Amino acid sequence: MIVETSALTKRYAAHAALDGVDLAVPAGSVYGLVGPNGAGKTTLLGILAGLRRPTSGSVRLEVARDRVATLPDTPQFDPWLTGREVVSLAARLAPSTPAGKVDEVLAEAGLAEASDRRAGGYSRGMLQRLGLAATMVGEPSLLLLDEPASALDPAGRREVLDLIARLRGRATVVFSSHILADVQEACDRIGILRDGRLLFQGSLDQLLVGRATPSVELRLRSGGDQAAALLRRQDWVTSVRPAGAALIVGVRTMDEAEARMAGVLAESSARVISVGPREAELEDVFLELTS
Amino acid sequence: MTLWRLELLRLVRTRRLVALLAVYAFFGLTGPLTARYLGRILGAIGTEGVQVQFPEPTPADGITQFVGNASQIGLLVVVLVSASALAFDARREMAVFLRTRVAGVRSIVLPAYAINVAGAVAGLLLGSACAWYETAILLGAPPAGAMLAGIAYGSVSLAFAVALVAFMAALVRSVLAAAGSALAVLLLTGILGSAARVGTWLPTGLLGALGELTAGRAPGDYLPGLAVTLILIVLALAGAVRLGDRREL
Repeated sequence: MIVETSALTKRYAAHAALDGVDLAVPAGSVYGLVGPNGAGKTTLLGILAGLRRPTSGSVRLEVARDRVATLPDTPQFDPWLTGREVVSLAARLAPSTPAGKVDEVLAEAGLAEASDRRAGGYSRGMLQRLGLAATMVGEPSLLLLDEPASALDPAGRREVLDLIARLRGRATVVFSSHILADVQEACDRIGILRDGRLLFQGSLDQLLVGRATPSVELRLRSGGDQAAALLRRQDWVTSVRPAGAALIVGVRTMDEAEARMAGVLAESSARVISVGPREAELEDVFLELTS
Repeated sequence: MTLWRLELLRLVRTRRLVALLAVYAFFGLTGPLTARYLGRILGAIGTEGVQVQFPEPTPADGITQFVGNASQIGLLVVVLVSASALAFDARREMAVFLRTRVAGVRSIVLPAYAINVAGAVAGLLLGSACAWYETAILLGAPPAGAMLAGIAYGSVSLAFAVALVAFMAALVRSVLAAAGSALAVLLLTGILGSAARVGTWLPTGLLGALGELTAGRAPGDYLPGLAVTLILIVLALAGAVRLGDRREL
């Protein structure tokens, strides 16, 4: 493990921002720290970055402190510095930076053309990418990224997620997010935080298998309301919720759904497009764990 | 790009260096002018029938006029400019960029301190040169030795003011709070110096040394103040580093 914490606790007066967190991040992994706002993600990353001190517990980093790079959620830089100067400063402050690395990371972040413009004129997405370039330039062994894509538009998010994906194998990445799709796409290990407690950590497969309630996805052309009402009255149905044009029907067991779903739909006047088992998604498990 | 160059660029690109130089140059040019013509100006606007007699202005009056203005407005600008650099924790995201890349805040504080002291001293030197030249033209040459000693004492006093800002910035987070608290301490120090007649022992006393030395005071009178100020500079910087290292973001 490149990062391990043991019974890590951080208190602000009576409030426990972190409560006995045992984090374990394998070397080379992309670790997603998921949790609702106020769960303790930023506090945990702040402690790992050395910016905050734990109230109790311990942190063990299998990497020198100067090989750790941190990116805050909304990176800001002196507006009178150019993008190139920001990355050059980060390169100079890193323990060792290969020649030509500044240009390389600026190009990788898609900022080659804007590198001589002042950061004060950068968009939010460009600042985020500039932050990532400054974080990557020293070739750190461990990157701590706090909500790196949460505040960006879809195109900006895509660029940042692609950058993170390209870091796989080159460094260990711990990034926090409340956008589950980002975590599901980018991470191979996940930790779920709520109210300062680490409710789960492991691989995505470990998290999904057997945890979420089995469910069926119904696609109906019409009669959805009547079908939903009828389904809610069935004792083998645990929940019915709309998801776009579909209905997600939580069931006690898939056996019962396979045996009885067709009958209920026949009884309603719904026109059925498709019926199929729905694979558990991170969002289902997240809601199950954090609700 | 180094942290030293970062601080130099901060002074130059934000035009704070221009502000420092302009303020001191302005008072350097207007101080002796005011001393030379103040009597005539007041005489011209005086009440009819009342004649006010002003003594003939001396070179020391020209320099004292400069010092009087520069030690207030100039010091205010020095404190504001240095607070904007030394209160680097005021914006968390910027602070994270710097703090996670250095072993301790010493690496951030010292370049910011040194560059801002250099900027302040450059302003004092320019202002003093202007005041010296204009005084020599209008009122006669002030003694060179007294001028050089006074500038040196004033520079040390400014170095203390910037060190005090560094210390305050480690106690409070915002730029305005750091500048305001430093100015409050400087003001109280000045009042204490005047009230208890220990001005020459205090950093604020050194700021006015230039005027008093050209008026004939012995340079040695300020040596105790010089020693106290140097000690306080070291203590303030050590405190800034120690408190800064302990601060959480």
